[in-house]
Amino acid sequence: MMDFSGAVALALPEIILAVGALILLMVGAFGGDKSTGLVSVGSGGVLIAGAVAAAYGPLGSTFNGGFVADNAAAFAKVFIYGFSAVGVLLGDRWLKRMAASKFEFPVLIVIAALGMGMMASAGDLISLYIGVELQSLALYVLCAFRRDDAKASEAGLKYFVLGALSSGLLLYGASLIYGFAGSTKFVDIAAAVQAGAGQGAIFGVVFLICGLAFKVSAAPFHMWTPDVYEGAPTPVVAFVAAAPKMAAMVLFARALLQGFPGAVGQWQQVLVVVAALSMGWGALAGLRQRNLKRLLAYSSVTNIGYALLGIAAGTDQGVTAMLVFMVLYMIDTTGLFACLLALNRDGKPMETLADFAGLAKEKPGLALCITGLSFSVMGIPPFAGFWAKFYVFKAAIAAGLWPIAVFGLVASVVAAFYYLRIIKTMWFDPSPGRTDASPLDARGVAVAAALFSCGLVVLALNPLDTVAKLAAAAFHLS
Amino acid sequence: MIGLSHYLTVAAILFTIGVFGIFVNRKNVIIIMMSIELILLAVNINLVAFSAYLHDVSGQIFAMFVLTVAAAEAAVGLAILVTFFRNRGDIAVDDASMMKG
Amino acid sequence: MTALLVILVFGPLLGATVAGLFGRRIGDTPSRVITTGFLFLSCFLSWYTFSQVTWGEWGGQHIVRLLPFINVADFHSDWSIRLDALSAVMLVVVTSVSALVHLYSWGYMADDPSKPRFFAYLSLFTFAMLMLVTAADFMQLFFGWEGVGLASYLLIGFWFHKPTANAASIKAFVVNRVGDFGFALGIMTIYWMFHTIRFAELFPLIAAKAGTNWTFISQEWSALDLAAILLFIGAMGKSAQFFLHTWLPDAMEGPTPVSALIHAATMVTAGVYMVCLLSPLFEYAPAARTLVTVIGATTALFAATVGLAQNDIKRVIAYSTCSQLGYMFFAAGVGAYQAAMFHLFTHAFFKALLFLGAGSVINGMHHEQDMRKMGALWKLMPITYAVMTIGTIAITGIGIPGLDLGFAGFYSKDTIIEAAWAASGSPAGAFAFVVGVFAAGLTAFYSWRLVFMTFHGTGKWKHDDHAHDAHADHDDDHGHGHGDHGHAHVPHESPWVMLVPLLLLSIGAIGAGFAFHEYFVGEGQVEFWKGAIFNGPHNEILHHAHLAPLDIKLAPLVATAIGTIGAIWVYLLNEGMRARIAANGGPIHTFIYNKWFFDELYNATFVRGAKFLGDLFWKGGDQKIIDGLGPNGVAAVTAFAGKGVGKIQTGYVYHYAFVMLLGVAGLLSYALWAWAR
Repeated sequence: MMDFSGAVALALPEIILAVGALILLMVGAFGGDKSTGLVSVGSGGVLIAGAVAAAYGPLGSTFNGGFVADNAAAFAKVFIYGFSAVGVLLGDRWLKRMAASKFEFPVLIVIAALGMGMMASAGDLISLYIGVELQSLALYVLCAFRRDDAKASEAGLKYFVLGALSSGLLLYGASLIYGFAGSTKFVDIAAAVQAGAGQGAIFGVVFLICGLAFKVSAAPFHMWTPDVYEGAPTPVVAFVAAAPKMAAMVLFARALLQGFPGAVGQWQQVLVVVAALSMGWGALAGLRQRNLKRLLAYSSVTNIGYALLGIAAGTDQGVTAMLVFMVLYMIDTTGLFACLLALNRDGKPMETLADFAGLAKEKPGLALCITGLSFSVMGIPPFAGFWAKFYVFKAAIAAGLWPIAVFGLVASVVAAFYYLRIIKTMWFDPSPGRTDASPLDARGVAVAAALFSCGLVVLALNPLDTVAKLAAAAFHLS
Repeated sequence: MIGLSHYLTVAAILFTIGVFGIFVNRKNVIIIMMSIELILLAVNINLVAFSAYLHDVSGQIFAMFVLTVAAAEAAVGLAILVTFFRNRGDIAVDDASMMKG
Repeated sequence: MTALLVILVFGPLLGATVAGLFGRRIGDTPSRVITTGFLFLSCFLSWYTFSQVTWGEWGGQHIVRLLPFINVADFHSDWSIRLDALSAVMLVVVTSVSALVHLYSWGYMADDPSKPRFFAYLSLFTFAMLMLVTAADFMQLFFGWEGVGLASYLLIGFWFHKPTANAASIKAFVVNRVGDFGFALGIMTIYWMFHTIRFAELFPLIAAKAGTNWTFISQEWSALDLAAILLFIGAMGKSAQFFLHTWLPDAMEGPTPVSALIHAATMVTAGVYMVCLLSPLFEYAPAARTLVTVIGATTALFAATVGLAQNDIKRVIAYSTCSQLGYMFFAAGVGAYQAAMFHLFTHAFFKALLFLGAGSVINGMHHEQDMRKMGALWKLMPITYAVMTIGTIAITGIGIPGLDLGFAGFYSKDTIIEAAWAASGSPAGAFAFVVGVFAAGLTAFYSWRLVFMTFHGTGKWKHDDHAHDAHADHDDDHGHGHGDHGHAHVPHESPWVMLVPLLLLSIGAIGAGFAFHEYFVGEGQVEFWKGAIFNGPHNEILHHAHLAPLDIKLAPLVATAIGTIGAIWVYLLNEGMRARIAANGGPIHTFIYNKWFFDELYNATFVRGAKFLGDLFWKGGDQKIIDGLGPNGVAAVTAFAGKGVGKIQTGYVYHYAFVMLLGVAGLLSYALWAWAR
């Protein structure tokens, strides 16, 4: 049992975020919308402080095992908070351009990040639920943030209703697990399952997987994804598409690998089905999409399928692959959404495929970014996405999941079609008109992401691999 | 004697009713919110029943958290519903279908 | 001489290039002037060359090598110009008709919006034809062969917005490919046997190979016969001989000047020219010659019968062409190559005359081609009437046998029939002779029928409102209306720019036979041909032909007279009879009216059979099995699944929730099932 200061030290990143969020809320509440700039900067600072604290904080477990600060959590938090900071930047600038600045926006992102941090550090079912709900509630609000936008409020409503349903499934599963294993702590659950907690607990695992699958938008629980991506404000989507996925994947890994290491055979079968469905469904449904945001939604479904393959492997190598995959995917997807944010025509966002016709002539730089990032997501060597898939497939094959790996390869070939279509449209179709000047922030993020995915990744892969291996070791797997 | 299995059965029935309430109901979003509450309450019954059965307090703590979060969830849900209503002038479930495909 | 020949051959290409590439920029008139000017220059040079070769100092054979074409191992081919009596005759025919057709087109195509394109095609065709006739080896012959085919394809489909024209051009293309396949195989066989494709090197080698047999499918085949037959299949395609004739009548969808140039005077005679050119080969290929004779005679008969019942003025002439080509082939088949070439020569004049005359009628009738809607035009179009009559007399071959005095066709056709008589020792020759005489009667009948229906009787265009509508339709179809719509109902004589070529051609139709028969087929033929046509040591057909008794010489004339009288009886004296025959028809009329049902037969067998086979291999074999399992199948399943997956995304929350719960239920069931194993 740890003393209070030790507990605080372990939870310092989350405490920084929680306190920071409250202070910023006060600043905003008293300063009004005038203080939005200050709140944004403060939010960014808080998030970066949280990331630093997570990176250099002590390791251990506290609050009766409910909060775990290990290398996996630290790894996830650094990227979650980092990408949340990017989300604050993109969102704040965007809202300013829309003349809809509100100080709540950065605060909500900080709160969502706090929820994600909780998810990454969840050591028992209660903190799992708290983390998930904190994140989800903030995201519901963020999706409906543009209150005068019918699509945004519809997106928020759909996200909320389905999210609440998934929370219900997750909770029901949690209650069953608690009932049959006799504890909410993953470590105790693992021991109970090992001792033969019976079918009930494993029955609960299926519900748990369903609830978490919703959060990572894996098929068939992904139905909200395209609608929310289309309707929600683009910077929110850029945020939703990256950091929460990382948090949910780490939570996924922790819940299954730490809570049910003795039942790998059981949940692996379920997870493989979910992964296969995600890869296939995302690839197929994306074919018909003309809306870029929806397309990216289906793309994210497919990619989560690959990431789940890493967890399904159930090995150290698999978790490493999943972490590497998620990091590289987050960079790709953030870059792509930054490109979308940077592109407007006559003040309207360019979201359909037709809008992108002839972009290569209008905005050669951004077109090049999109092309590079698309190649990356497609998995063309030597771009980032290739290495991500390479890691995952390698791990899956090593774990004997080669049929599903082959299926994943086929799905990625199918999915490649829609990226190729984007590229073809940009470079070979005639342009329908001039585009507006692209804002610096979005362009900067896009170019940075493209540079990373198309070049720097080769340099970054080694350190990333090392860190991810360290993080994966936290789960004490073979 | 009312045992654990009875509680679990009631909870399961409530859960099922709640789930059905979400997708069988096609009229009103408020009813969906009520269904969600029903699901959460079913979970709470489960948790409390297990807690009593196991003589373990964490289940009841969990239940308290669920209640609290459910309240927050309802608040957020209703807030979103209000913006939706202001945009569309209606809260029929069928209305929320601008985006599809 | 080299420079002269180069200008002669490449002038039309230059004209075509200028008109084709810059026609739009330089305008209609300059394009017309340039192309027509080059053609007249070529024409003039051709006549000069012809006279030099025939009577002048040039004599013998010349091969002007221009550029090396292919030089691989012992396979050599050059771009060259071969000049001998045979090619000189062809040069004269091609350039004369082409020049006159160019001139004629000034009037005929006056209203067409894309004149430069038309003239460019015409000149391009002429160039390709000149390359063909001056070829010194098989490669260049094949090049010219394909070149004329291409130009023909382009010109048949010139009015490309007319679906029938497009279909006709494709049909011509496809049928000709069948012939070309045989032709190409023939060339390969020749190269395989002799290791050369140059005519000058090849011909002396042939006699030595005469007895060579090849065993193929446990049958003995004479190698030379095989090669000759394969090459003749190419000639059948190009010259629209029986079995491969179906494209020619349809090719009439092209503008009439094109029909006159390509489908009457020049291109379709390329097959005859080739057989004559390859006389050294055919002389040693008796089986092939028998085939040529039989096919030629059959075509002559078949086309003549079909011509009896057609109502489209151009189609009648097209079948007439087909029939006359049959004459030429069986002449060559029995060994009278000189007679074949002579008929080719005279036929070019009177058939071009008939076609251009028909074009004049069509032009005057505002693009009406149905003879049933004509009649009594002789007063309105006196000059056209006169030249058409001359052309008809020429084709029917009217003349006085004893005095050797007559129109062009008289000399050439009678020579052919006499040659067939001389060869009637063999069954094929006898068949050719009988057919030749009988078809002469038919020729007379359908030719006069055309004249009577068009120029005599009552004018059906007078009270026929429908004719106007039809003509309006035609105008739309053809895309070149008339400026004189104010009196659109009344046929009119054509402008002088069209009549002058007609008059010039009619001079040829009258005098070409009389002037040249001594040289082509008479006592002076050896002097004239100077070895360009080879006759085997035992081939004395022409000599025997001249010795034919008077009753044989009279036979075609009698047949012609009977045919003529028949036509006068049916079409001049009893005008309603034609309609009654057509109405009561009977099987014979139906049979010939439908062209012996060849199109239907081919449709039922080859087209549908090919479709079936194609479907079998493509749809069944390729598409269903290979693609079905492979790329297409995956693509189709993918697209279908994509659609289905997209349909699930309805936009309704309750559907989404339902899918989620299905997922839960499915995963639970699956998990229980999987764990229970």
